Amino acid sequence: MHVLIINGSPRVKQYSNTDKILEKFTAGLSENNTTFEQYEISDKKQWDDIRNAYYANSNILIALPLYVECIPGLLMEFLETLTPKNDGTKISYLLQSGFAEGVQLRCGEEYLKKLTARLGCEYGGTLVKGDNFSIRFFEGEMRDRVTGQYTEMGREYALNGGFNTDKCKAFTGYEVFPLHMRIMLGTIFATLGRKMFTKLARNWGCTKPIGYRPYK
Amino acid sequence: MILIVNTTSDTSVTEEIKKLAAAGGFEPEVIEAYGLNISHCIGCNHCWLKTPGECSIKDDYEIILKKIIHADQLWVISDTALGFLDHKGKNIFDRILPIATMYLKFVKGQMRHVPRYRQRTNIGIIYRGEGDREYLDRWSKRAALNFDSKSLGVFKENEVKEAVSCMC
Repeated sequence: MHVLIINGSPRVKQYSNTDKILEKFTAGLSENNTTFEQYEISDKKQWDDIRNAYYANSNILIALPLYVECIPGLLMEFLETLTPKNDGTKISYLLQSGFAEGVQLRCGEEYLKKLTARLGCEYGGTLVKGDNFSIRFFEGEMRDRVTGQYTEMGREYALNGGFNTDKCKAFTGYEVFPLHMRIMLGTIFATLGRKMFTKLARNWGCTKPIGYRPYK
Repeated sequence: MILIVNTTSDTSVTEEIKKLAAAGGFEPEVIEAYGLNISHCIGCNHCWLKTPGECSIKDDYEIILKKIIHADQLWVISDTALGFLDHKGKNIFDRILPIATMYLKFVKGQMRHVPRYRQRTNIGIIYRGEGDREYLDRWSKRAALNFDSKSLGVFKENEVKEAVSCMC
């Protein structure tokens, strides 16, 4: 099998969490003779090549971050230039977000089903997972702890040609956090979390409080 | 204040809104955004962690952002593509991140960002073309969570009267 992978993140490749996820995913995907080609939506110079690859390939995987409950505007701009295929092409999706719970991504997932039909393609399922905000802030082992889980999902995709398996569905983790976890996490958000974000901001050269209001 | 952002090239909907609003005794603030230079969000997170509240992209969206933080309602008039808002309409929503802070909390059992400003802005959609109404309705309710507010509904371009009745 050969797979066309489109990284639908508007963030440049270097800083793209989706790209870091794909690094691990494709390691698993390509273990047993499955090949792939990958493009980046963030690089408009690639758009002609991506369009050509969209028409030439019958197994497509679009990986994307959730932007305001659905697909990012830049990916939408690209998709608007495509015409429906109606040739049995299968599109699967890897949908990821910063928010951690599965419930956060379901509205986006629903659109991906509808999008596939609009493009005259078959739906290969969506791998849904949140809690990925920290990827760009980590390196080495710390980052691998978050992204490494995707290698197994790459194997699953290679084996099944999509994400419609129980294993992939279970990959989402918590749909909503149980009450005791919400209490614990809520406390962390209000204390250590605030300190951690302030530290991250300082590392980025931020000189203002995180809650600063620039406009009156 | 009621803010109308028209991302389409057709100003007939905004003209109708102005007329109906005048008859109803109020005046919405209208931004014709089709000709404005408004980029997509690039996900840089600067508005959360480097220049809090300020977008790193210096374009015409700043005009809209400065209005949103004083608006009781934001109505986006958008063309549709592939059943959803087209990219111009979606970009108006993607670029709202500066109104939230990096801080997190739980709202009705789900993680959300702590709002930056006190103002709460309800959102409404008026769309042109072949939009998937049922989906747009679901999406607008979710999108409103990002404003810590509620959806005022989704209306077709020939239902402007119904939309305006929600503006009072």
